Amino acid sequence: MDPHRPETDRRMTRAVALFAVLWLGALAVPRAASAQASAVVLAQATRAYDDLEFDNAAGLLRRALAFQGADALLPADAARALMYLAATELLRERPDSARAVSRRLVLSNPRYRPDELVFPPEVLTFFQEVRRSTPAVIGRAPADTAIRPGAEALEVRLYASTFHDVAATLATGDGRVVRTLYTGPIADSLDLHWNGFDSTGTKPPPSGRYTITVNSLDRQRRVVRILRLPLQVTQGRVDTLPHPAPPADSLLLPERQPMGPALRALAPGALAGVAIAVLPSVVANGEDASGARFVVGGTVTVAGIVAFFSRHPGRAISVNVAHNRTLRDAWRREDAEVARRNTERARGMLGIRSGAPVLLTPEAP
Amino acid sequence: MTRALVFALALCGASVAEAQWNVSFGATAAQEIAQSRVGTTRERVSGLVLGAEAVASRGRFAARLRYGQGRVTNDTAGRDVAEGEALLGYKARPWLTVWVGPHARTFVVPGQSDRRWLLWSGRVTARGSLFPGRVESFVELWQGVTGSLNRPAESASGGGAEAGLVLRLARHPVWGRLAYRIEQGRVSGGARRETVEAITLTIGYVPVR
Repeated sequence: MDPHRPETDRRMTRAVALFAVLWLGALAVPRAASAQASAVVLAQATRAYDDLEFDNAAGLLRRALAFQGADALLPADAARALMYLAATELLRERPDSARAVSRRLVLSNPRYRPDELVFPPEVLTFFQEVRRSTPAVIGRAPADTAIRPGAEALEVRLYASTFHDVAATLATGDGRVVRTLYTGPIADSLDLHWNGFDSTGTKPPPSGRYTITVNSLDRQRRVVRILRLPLQVTQGRVDTLPHPAPPADSLLLPERQPMGPALRALAPGALAGVAIAVLPSVVANGEDASGARFVVGGTVTVAGIVAFFSRHPGRAISVNVAHNRTLRDAWRREDAEVARRNTERARGMLGIRSGAPVLLTPEAP
Repeated sequence: MTRALVFALALCGASVAEAQWNVSFGATAAQEIAQSRVGTTRERVSGLVLGAEAVASRGRFAARLRYGQGRVTNDTAGRDVAEGEALLGYKARPWLTVWVGPHARTFVVPGQSDRRWLLWSGRVTARGSLFPGRVESFVELWQGVTGSLNRPAESASGGGAEAGLVLRLARHPVWGRLAYRIEQGRVSGGARRETVEAITLTIGYVPVR
């Protein structure tokens, strides 16, 4: 055994760990450096804003917002930059520009609320007015989910910039409305539910591309904003369960006393009785046979008849009837359960993938 | 042929050896009606005949002995009668037994020599159960293969049948039989015939082993 082996292993482990750290760091550095560039500009802009150098701040803010792709500001920083820019423009006495920037901020993030410790009251009031006059919603839906139509539902959470009325529908790619999801007011947020059925309420729509469209309405019921959330709907394959076979005849017991044993009991008596009646003509044809034989023949025949009825032919066998009823009831229950599960399965699973929501403004900005 | 016979006897012997004996005894009372016809002459007598029987069986094989005697009379004449049979049987099926053996009947008239009928017969007995183990019916047919009448000495033929009901008591080794029997012996191409009818009541006993 090599006594130096443990020390060698420890060194090797440290080397691998160090390499991994360096490798991960190398991957992270470019992204961090890029994001850092726009963040640095944003930091410079906020310092300029704090120093009341509004022109410089406006330039820096626009520059920070101009970064694209990997260099772009993170969404939270972008919202903060827009808010600073709106405040800067307002304080530069450029209300139109401030309104446009504020509206841009509201449309990109209707839930955004400015920090009351950072911005002066007139800026806060101005932004609140713009937000109230810019009805818009954004929506969040699961990126990839599956529901059982009728039993489950796709949930889309809507966030509103302000209290207003919305009309939400599910439409096909060519705009045909498949189902109206909601019509009414929205305050802060609202959960839209789609149970997977079309307008008939009984079956899911065929697989394909659909869009959840949320129209934001102003007080004149005009559409001022349209949120479109693309959906890819895929119907799952339907597998039905086979119905159980009814109880085999071999498992069922006779419910009535069979006729066979009764006849087999009757036959010996009847045949012997008939034999006694006809024997003299067979054995001693032409002789005057005694009529006393009919006493014996009648006795044998009556015994056969008694034996016949003692078998109770055709009478219900209650034990067997109960046994068969138990089997049949179990089969019926199982069959009904399969039918129920098949009905449920016939609805199938509905796969739903949602895309990135798009917010459109039909009116002129 | 000899080998086949030896083989068959060996099989029979083996069958008998494997099984155990079953024996029963019975006492019979029969109301008999005997009709004799010789040419155009007819005679009809009737009376009570008492008898006994024993049946032993082992496996498929059986033996039966019956004997009875009594007196049959009419308004003008009377005669004693004694009859018996000794049969060996084979149960071809549980419900079917084949018998062979002699059957004899003797009429004794005072002042005359006895008139005895002797017939070697082959018989078939079929049984059917009405109440299993308790009540069964049976029909037995027999035909004389060869026979003789001693007075006048002639070869005889004949046949007969018996049918009735056998009742076994539950948990008792006693049985009873109610039967109707008819037999006819013929000689001289049927010019002389004796027909015997009987309604029999038999009480039997099966010894408990």
